[in-house]
Amino acid sequence: MIDSLSFDAYTPTWCPGCGDWSIRIGIKTALTQLGYDPSKVFITFDIGCSGNMNDFLSGYAMHTLHGRAVPSAIGMKIGNHNVKTIVIGGDGGIYGEGGNHFLHACRGNHDVTVIVHDNMVYGLTTGQVAPTAKKGYKSKSTPLGIIEVPLNPLALAVSQGATFVAQAFAGDLNNVIDTVKKGLQHRGFSLINLLQPCVTFNKINTYQYYLKHVYKLPGEYDKSNLKEAMNKALEVNEEKFPLGVLYQAEKPTFHEQLPQLVGNMPLVDRTRYTAFDPLINEFI
Amino acid sequence: MKFSWKIGGEAGFGIMTIGLSFSKIATRLGYQIYDYNEYPSLIRGGHNTYEVVVSDQKISAGRWAIDCLVCLNKATFDLDKHRLTPASLVVYDPEEFEPEGNYQKIPVPFKKFKKEWQVQQLMVNTIALGASLALLGGELQFFYDLINQQFGKKGQEVINFNEKLAKVGFDYVQKAFPNQIKPLLIKREASQKLVMVGNDAFSLGAAIADCRFYAAYPMTPSSTVLTTLASWQSQTGMVVRHSEDELAAVNTALGTAFTGVRSAVGTSGGGFALMTEALSFAGIAEIPLVVYLAQRPGPATGMPTWTEQGDLLFAVFAGHGEFPKIILAPGDVEETVILTTKAFDLADIYQTPVIVITDKSLAESHLSLEKSAVQTFISKYKPDYGKIIKRADSLPYLRYQLTPDGISPQLIPGQKGVFYQANSYEHLEDGHTTEDAAARVAQVKKRSQKTVTYLKNHFHAPAVYGDMAQAKAVFVSWGGNKGVIVEAQKILSDQGLATAFIHFTHLFPMDVSQVSALFNSSRRYVLIENNSQAQFGQLLRMQTGIDIKEKILKYDGRPFWPEEIAQYLISQK
Repeated sequence: MIDSLSFDAYTPTWCPGCGDWSIRIGIKTALTQLGYDPSKVFITFDIGCSGNMNDFLSGYAMHTLHGRAVPSAIGMKIGNHNVKTIVIGGDGGIYGEGGNHFLHACRGNHDVTVIVHDNMVYGLTTGQVAPTAKKGYKSKSTPLGIIEVPLNPLALAVSQGATFVAQAFAGDLNNVIDTVKKGLQHRGFSLINLLQPCVTFNKINTYQYYLKHVYKLPGEYDKSNLKEAMNKALEVNEEKFPLGVLYQAEKPTFHEQLPQLVGNMPLVDRTRYTAFDPLINEFI
Repeated sequence: MKFSWKIGGEAGFGIMTIGLSFSKIATRLGYQIYDYNEYPSLIRGGHNTYEVVVSDQKISAGRWAIDCLVCLNKATFDLDKHRLTPASLVVYDPEEFEPEGNYQKIPVPFKKFKKEWQVQQLMVNTIALGASLALLGGELQFFYDLINQQFGKKGQEVINFNEKLAKVGFDYVQKAFPNQIKPLLIKREASQKLVMVGNDAFSLGAAIADCRFYAAYPMTPSSTVLTTLASWQSQTGMVVRHSEDELAAVNTALGTAFTGVRSAVGTSGGGFALMTEALSFAGIAEIPLVVYLAQRPGPATGMPTWTEQGDLLFAVFAGHGEFPKIILAPGDVEETVILTTKAFDLADIYQTPVIVITDKSLAESHLSLEKSAVQTFISKYKPDYGKIIKRADSLPYLRYQLTPDGISPQLIPGQKGVFYQANSYEHLEDGHTTEDAAARVAQVKKRSQKTVTYLKNHFHAPAVYGDMAQAKAVFVSWGGNKGVIVEAQKILSDQGLATAFIHFTHLFPMDVSQVSALFNSSRRYVLIENNSQAQFGQLLRMQTGIDIKEKILKYDGRPFWPEEIAQYLISQK
């Protein structure tokens, strides 16, 4: 029988109380409820506390280089587009080191679900500032406070062509499960920005902080309205964090627009091309 | 018989297109060719040249003396007059300049024709090529055939007009200079030839080898692999991706390779630098990957459109940490096809990165090769996927299982009830992360064992050209210098100087005993490299202890001339 325990591997090594615990439960519950098992998913893990889920969540997976989980996942999807493909990373890997890949993946509408553990701090390297931290945030690497304004992942994704942009809060497991399920069900590039308190290194963006600053998007919210999604994405500037799906659109995915990949036959299973005469005749 | 034709003009004049047309016409007339072009890193302005050596025998490098120089501007004459002889034909426009000196002068009024026919500078090329064909005794029909191929989609009117321009140049020379015509391009019977550059050869080799994914960010001189494979994708079904940067290209290719798809990336030095972290990932995660590295002079942006062999040691040491890697360096276009297919096999067999290294002069110079030989090779080639499997026979499946040859079965993801991770961290046999000392040592040994297995099963000793026992000197070189050295040997042999040439293609890792057998302290060895640090010499010494003291090194961005190497030996005799 497939239950969420099928995805279990090693016991996590995260700090007690870390938001990653509930994110992991959220992901494996969502996968199980949607009928997946570890043989039916591709996962790339970035580097960091989030990426360390590689040993706690099973699947056909790559524990990639830091910042490169998105391009590797894009490759997996191209290699076998029948397999559900998930990226698990942190704010540093996806928005910092891999920021360029992230915005181009949005543009391409690659059919991957990117789950970002956004705790506004670098946990695994013991507490340096992350690109999503609020301006002025003091950390070991920015003792005078960070000069840059925070990167806005939701606005970036909406503006660069992502077709599913959502936010969830690790302190609300049902919200995590529900949002991850919707992201997995979406055809195209889906971003789930997961607000995740780092209980060890971030003493500002705590569970209590988020409980004060998050709110659920109302039932009548129109997620097909791009401009409204942009407005919601910009609310972070007033320290308001909407939870739920900010934006969703139906558009052809990257692989659906490659004539080579049309149909259910994945690239890996095709027969070898052997009609070389037309190619070599070009050189006469 | 051997002669050279060269055309020069301002960048943007369409020199490349017309040069290739000359090469194709010459091969269709039954000759063999080698061509070489020079161009600056810009689109308009600057000086472009294209030279073709034609022979009725196999030919593999340029020729110093220019037998026919077509000057579309004065700079062409000024820059190349030192390579002319009194017998050289010089085609020029008397309205533009008058060449001083003793040559066979062929004034052709290009500017007048341009005005008369109201054509762009680009089309003056067509007139110039028509004139060249008349001067060399060629047939216009072969040019017409190419025009039909080239402009077929643009309609009959465009074809007719271009044919007319070709005839203008051809007729003018036939009428005005009947006594200067040299019967060099008389149609002869010969087997059908292909005209390909190294980049074409890599592209074809990749397609033959069942490569299904290629990613790159354009970078001279590797860019035409990307554009050629992209132009073939609807036929081959290969997915060709122009990524946002080289980091994306290589990490996407590792993703496709993970799913069991043969994958490759291509770049030059700067882009390769960006890819090195991922090579290291491929090394520890044991993911097959082919990297095409077409060198140009560095450091940094260097001289983008020129040639050098300056990235060899960088390629050998690319990637942090210790992991197996294979470097193959084809010597010419034909070897590029063959070694590219071998690179894909080796990447799968050893589940590690394999680098195919070329340089601009090989990557972008055309060589004629037998069509039937390529067809025979294609029909005989069968991909060797090594231990890549679709089903794990025994469970639990261990991705990094310890084996005597260091190679573990690599399961194509999909088998029900099974899963595993390709891990960039050190790992246990099952793929899970570890920091355990004994497990670390076991995995390091396992990966290193792949090198031992490779040296036993797939390393190829260098080929030797000429008779070592008779040789007064033995040249030692690698990669694209092959053609030049073989031509130099012919010149030297004509002068009664016997030489041999050890041509390395399997550069790293190297089997000491097979290589050492070719070196003997009583012989004179001369190392030839297109770089300033004798990088292959250093690599040879590092791997075998063999130290070659005598060296010819060139690092001005230009390939060697056969005459230059021959002259070195003659003057040192």
